Amino acid sequence: MAEVTARPTASQPAATELPKARSGRVPDLPILEKRNWLIHLYYVRKDYDACKITIKEQLQETQGMCEYAVYVQALIFRLEGKIHESLELFQTCAILRPRCADNLKQVARSLFLLGKHKAAVEVYSDAAQHNQKDWEIFHNLGVCYMQLKYFNKAKDQLNNALQLNRHDLTYIMLGKIYLMEGDRDKAIEVYKKAVEFSPENTELLTTLGLLYLELEIYQKAFEYLGNALTYDPCNYKAILAAGSMMQTHGDFDVALSKYRIVACAVPESPPLWNNIAMCFFGKKKYVAAISCLKRANYLAPFDWKILYNLGLVHLTMHQYASAFHFISAAVHLQPKLAELYMLLAVALTNLEDAENARLAYQKASALDTCNPLISLNYAILLYNQGDKKGAVLQYYEMKRKVHALKESTLEFDPEMVDIAQKLGTALQLGEVAIWAKPGKDSKSKPRGTASSTQPLGSNQALGQAMSSAAGYAKTMSQAIGSSTQLAKVPSLPLEPKPNEPTAEELTIKRQEQIQPIEQAKES
Amino acid sequence: MAAAASSAPSSGSAGDGTRATSKWLDAHYDPVANLHTFSSCVTLADLHGDGDYKLVVGNFGSTGHEMKLKVYQGTSLLSENTLPDLPTSVVSFLMEQHEPRMPALAVASGPYIYVYKNLRPYFKFTLPPMEPNPMEKVVWEQAKEDKVDLLSMKEMLEAIRENAEMPLSVQSLRFLTLDPPEMDSFVNQHKSQPIKRQTVMTCMATLKKNRVDEDAISCLVIGTENMEILILDPEAFTILSKVTIPSVPTFLDVAGQFDVEYRLTVACRNGSIYILRRDSKRPKYCIELSAQAVGLVRIQKNIIVACSDETLRGYTQKGKKLWGVTLPATPITLGIMDEKFQSFQAVLVALANLEVHIYRDKNLVNVIQVPDIVTSISFGHYGREDNTLIMTTKGGGLIIKILKRTSTFHKGDTAVGVPVAQSIKLSVPKKTKLYVDQTLRERESGVAMHQVFQTDLSRIRLMAARAYVRALECSMTPVSESLQEPLKLNAVVQGMGPTFKLCLNLQNMSENRAVANLLICFVYDENRYSIERPFFKAPMLIPGLNYPLATFVECLGDQGISDIIKVFVLSEGNSRPLLTAHISMPVSEGLAAA
Repeated sequence: MAEVTARPTASQPAATELPKARSGRVPDLPILEKRNWLIHLYYVRKDYDACKITIKEQLQETQGMCEYAVYVQALIFRLEGKIHESLELFQTCAILRPRCADNLKQVARSLFLLGKHKAAVEVYSDAAQHNQKDWEIFHNLGVCYMQLKYFNKAKDQLNNALQLNRHDLTYIMLGKIYLMEGDRDKAIEVYKKAVEFSPENTELLTTLGLLYLELEIYQKAFEYLGNALTYDPCNYKAILAAGSMMQTHGDFDVALSKYRIVACAVPESPPLWNNIAMCFFGKKKYVAAISCLKRANYLAPFDWKILYNLGLVHLTMHQYASAFHFISAAVHLQPKLAELYMLLAVALTNLEDAENARLAYQKASALDTCNPLISLNYAILLYNQGDKKGAVLQYYEMKRKVHALKESTLEFDPEMVDIAQKLGTALQLGEVAIWAKPGKDSKSKPRGTASSTQPLGSNQALGQAMSSAAGYAKTMSQAIGSSTQLAKVPSLPLEPKPNEPTAEELTIKRQEQIQPIEQAKES
Repeated sequence: MAAAASSAPSSGSAGDGTRATSKWLDAHYDPVANLHTFSSCVTLADLHGDGDYKLVVGNFGSTGHEMKLKVYQGTSLLSENTLPDLPTSVVSFLMEQHEPRMPALAVASGPYIYVYKNLRPYFKFTLPPMEPNPMEKVVWEQAKEDKVDLLSMKEMLEAIRENAEMPLSVQSLRFLTLDPPEMDSFVNQHKSQPIKRQTVMTCMATLKKNRVDEDAISCLVIGTENMEILILDPEAFTILSKVTIPSVPTFLDVAGQFDVEYRLTVACRNGSIYILRRDSKRPKYCIELSAQAVGLVRIQKNIIVACSDETLRGYTQKGKKLWGVTLPATPITLGIMDEKFQSFQAVLVALANLEVHIYRDKNLVNVIQVPDIVTSISFGHYGREDNTLIMTTKGGGLIIKILKRTSTFHKGDTAVGVPVAQSIKLSVPKKTKLYVDQTLRERESGVAMHQVFQTDLSRIRLMAARAYVRALECSMTPVSESLQEPLKLNAVVQGMGPTFKLCLNLQNMSENRAVANLLICFVYDENRYSIERPFFKAPMLIPGLNYPLATFVECLGDQGISDIIKVFVLSEGNSRPLLTAHISMPVSEGLAAA
C-alpha cells in the first residue's frame, strides 16, 4: 500500500529542495548514489514495485544521471521480459559509466536472451578484457559458444571458468556439451567431478544417475539417484528414474508410493502417469492402468510410448478394437519401431483381419533384426493360416535371432520358449535342442520336455493357446512374476533413442517390461 | 512445502503453524504502528543504562519521506526525533567509559552519521570528500577564468569521462546532460564552486575496541558507495582504518576487537562475499554466491547467507561452503537468534510467504506464521525480557513475541522424514458401470465394431475426397486455383446487428502480375438481408497487397435467424466464379435485445 500513496509525493523531495537551493546562492547538486542501497535492497528482496518507485524518484532527483538506478531498472525490465527496453537502458548505463565490465556483462546477457549469440560473444569478449578474473564472463562465453555449436571453444571457455572459480552451473554446462557431442564417458567424468565439488546438488546427482541408467550400470545409477533422494525427497526426476528401476524389479508398491510424491508436485507429467499406470498393470489392476494411461495420453497426445502402452493394456483386456486404434496412432507417430507393427498385427489377428495382420508382420520383420518374438508370432500366424512353408521360414529366422541373442548372455522368457517348442513340434521340426543350449534357464528345460510329450501339434491346440480367455490370467501372472528376466529380452532394439529427455527414458524401460507379457500372450 | 514437511518430525507432530508458534508468547501486535523499516535500521539498546532495553527504529514513514527516529519502551512510543534524510542504518554503541554506561545511537544517512546521546542530537560526522579528478579540476579552473568556450569544455569533459579511471563530479555530469542554451547559465552559476565528489554510506556495524565485554567501547564500521570500508574511532571520529574492496558493500558483519584481531565479512552488490582481517589491505577470502545476498549473519565461526535464488547457505570463515538448503519462498531479511540461557544460536529467516523460519545450521527447527510480510527482524533484550523477537511488517505493523522459558529446540540433526505427499492417495477415477458395459460390449463384438468402423472410415474418406473435388471444380474455395489469377479471399463480419459491416480482404498472390477487371457479387436470401451494394467492381489488384473491401449488410427479419451469404469473385466475361466464400452471418443481437 505504501507504494500507492508514495506516487503523488514522489516529486516532493525535488520540490522541497528547490526553494532551499534558491535561498543559498548556488543550488546544491544532489548526490547521485544517495539511494542506491535502498534500490539494491528492494531489488534483492524482489519487491519490484517499491524498487521501481524508488528508482523513479532517484532518477527524477538526479535528472536521469544515477547509473545504478538505470541499471536496476534495466534488470527489472529484463525480468519482466522487456528485453529490448532493458537493452536500451543498459546502453544508457554504458554512456553514464563507460569501461565497466558489469554493464557489458548485462548487455551481453540481454543479447544472449534475444538469441543474438554472436553479438553476445563479442560483448563478452570485450568485458573479459576489462575484467580477466570473472568466472561468470567465461562461463557465459562458453554457453554462447555452445549455442553457436562451437563445442571446442565452449569447452575451453568453460574450463577457464572452472579454473577461476568452480561453480555447479559450469559443470552442468560442460557435461551438457559432452552429451551433445555424444561423449557419455566424458560427461560422466565431468559430473563426477562436480558431485565431488558439491555433493549435495541433487540436480547433478540425478543427472549422473540417469546417465548410468542409460549405460545400464544399474548399481551406480541407483546409488546416485538414492543420494539425490536423501537430500531432496521430492526431486521428481530422481523419483521417476528410481521408480522405473523399482518397476523393472517388480517392486510395484514401493514405486507407487514414491510416485505419489511426484503426483503432488508435478500432477501434469505424462511420464509419471504412464509409469503409475504400468505399476497398476503390473499389479493387474487393469482398469486403473487404463484410466491413468488415458490421463497421460490426454496430457501428451503425441507421445507414442503412452499410446503403445494403452494398446498393450487394451489387448490384455481383450478390447481389440480399441487396442487397434491406439496402436495405429502410435504407428503414425513412430513408424520405425518393429514391435509396434507386431502389436498391430496381434490386434488385427484378433479382429480377424488376417490379410492386414500378415502385412503388419511383414513390415515388422523388415524393420527388425534381432527380436525373435516377431518371427515367432509371425510363424504362428502363418501356421494357423495353413502356410506351413512360410511358418518354417519364420521359425528358422527366429532360431537365428535366438542364436544371435545368446551371446549377450540373456535368459529367455520361459513362456516364449514353451510356445516355440510347441510350434516346433507342430511344424514337425522337432528341434527342441536350440532351447536347451542356453542352459541357464533350468525351468525351461523340464517345461520344454513336458510340452513336447503332450499330444499337441494340431491347429486346434495352437488356436486355443492364442485366444483362450481362461488361459490368459495364468500366463499373465507367470509372465509378470518373472519380469526381471523378461525385461532384458527386447531391450536391445529399443536402445537407439538416447536423445530423449530423461523422464522419457523411463517410459521406454517400462514398455520393455510390458512388451514380453503381451508377446507371450499372443503366442 | 519441502522444508515445512521436513520440520514435521522436529516439532513432534505435523509442522503446522499453531503447533510451532506455541514456543512463543504473543506479547504485542499492532498492525498500524506505522513502522516502515529494514533490519539494519532496528536496534535494541539500554539507552538509559538502567537495564530496561528500548527498541530504536529508524523509520521511513509510509511514503518514504517522513523519516523519524522512534524509540519504543514496552508497547508504547517513548520518543520521536525527525531525521533529515533516509536512514541507512541505526546502531547503538558505547562512546566512552563514564558511568552510567549509556550507549549512544548512530544513524547513518547519506554521507552523514548523526550521533544521538540521551536521545538528543550530539554530533554529526561527515564522510571525507573524495579527491576530484585533476584534469576535471583544470577544466573548471579555465571556465572560471573564462578561458574556454562551452563546446570545447564539453568535449574535454566527455573525453575525461571516457578515459579516466576516476568518475567525474556531479557538477560535470550534470553539465554534460544539458542542452547548449542552458549551459551558459549553469557554468556561470557553478564555476566559482569548487568541484567535489561526495560518497554515501551503504551499511554500518560496530566493532569492540579492545575488550570483549558487553559494555565495552565500540568503533563504528561503515561501508561506502565508493567501495570502501572505514573504521571510525568512537571518541574522536577519526578514520582508524580504511580498506578498498572490489564492489559496493551491502551487508556487514563484524567479529573480534579492533586492537586485537577482527574479521569483517562483507556482502557486496556483485554477488560476492569478501572476508577481511585486521591489517589486510585486500580481501582475504572471496565467496562467489552466483546470486544476490539478501542477508548475512554469523553464528560462531560460520557465515550464513540468504540468497535471492531462495537458498540459505552456510560457509566457514575461510569461504568454504558447508551446506545449502532451499527455502520455500523468497527470503526478505535475516536475523540472528542468540538465546543465552540455553546457549542456542539460530538464524531467523523472514520469507515472502508470511512465515519466519528458524534454522539451526541446516535444520529447520521452528516456523512462525505472521500476518504480513516481515521486513525487519531482531532478537534480543527488550524491556526486562531476555529473549524477545521483534518484527516489523511491510504494512507498517509491529509484532513482539517472547520466547517461552520452557521452550527448547532440537539441537541435533533431524532425520529427514517421509514427505507428506507420499501419504496422499492417487486420484484414480473409479470404474463406472458405463465403462464396464462398454468394455463387455467390445469384448463380445469387437470384430464387428472394427469392421463397421473401418467401412465407415473408408466411406467418410471417399465423401471428403468427392467434396473436395467438387469444390475445386466449381471454384468454391476461398483460394483460386487458376494460375492466371491466383487470388485469396477472406471475410470478416463486424457489428452486432441489425446492421453488419462485411469486410472482404482480397489479395493477389501472384509474383508480379496485377489482376484487373474483377467483379464481386453477393448471393443471399433477399427476405432476410439487404446489402448496400450486392454487386460491385473490385479495383485492380497489385500483387502482395491486401485490399479490404467493405459493405454494409442489414438484417431484415426480426426473429433471431441467421443465414449464409455467398460471395463470388468473378472475372469479367466469364460466368464461372474464380472464388467463392460462404459467410455464416451471426444472429442479429441488436434485434434480440430490442
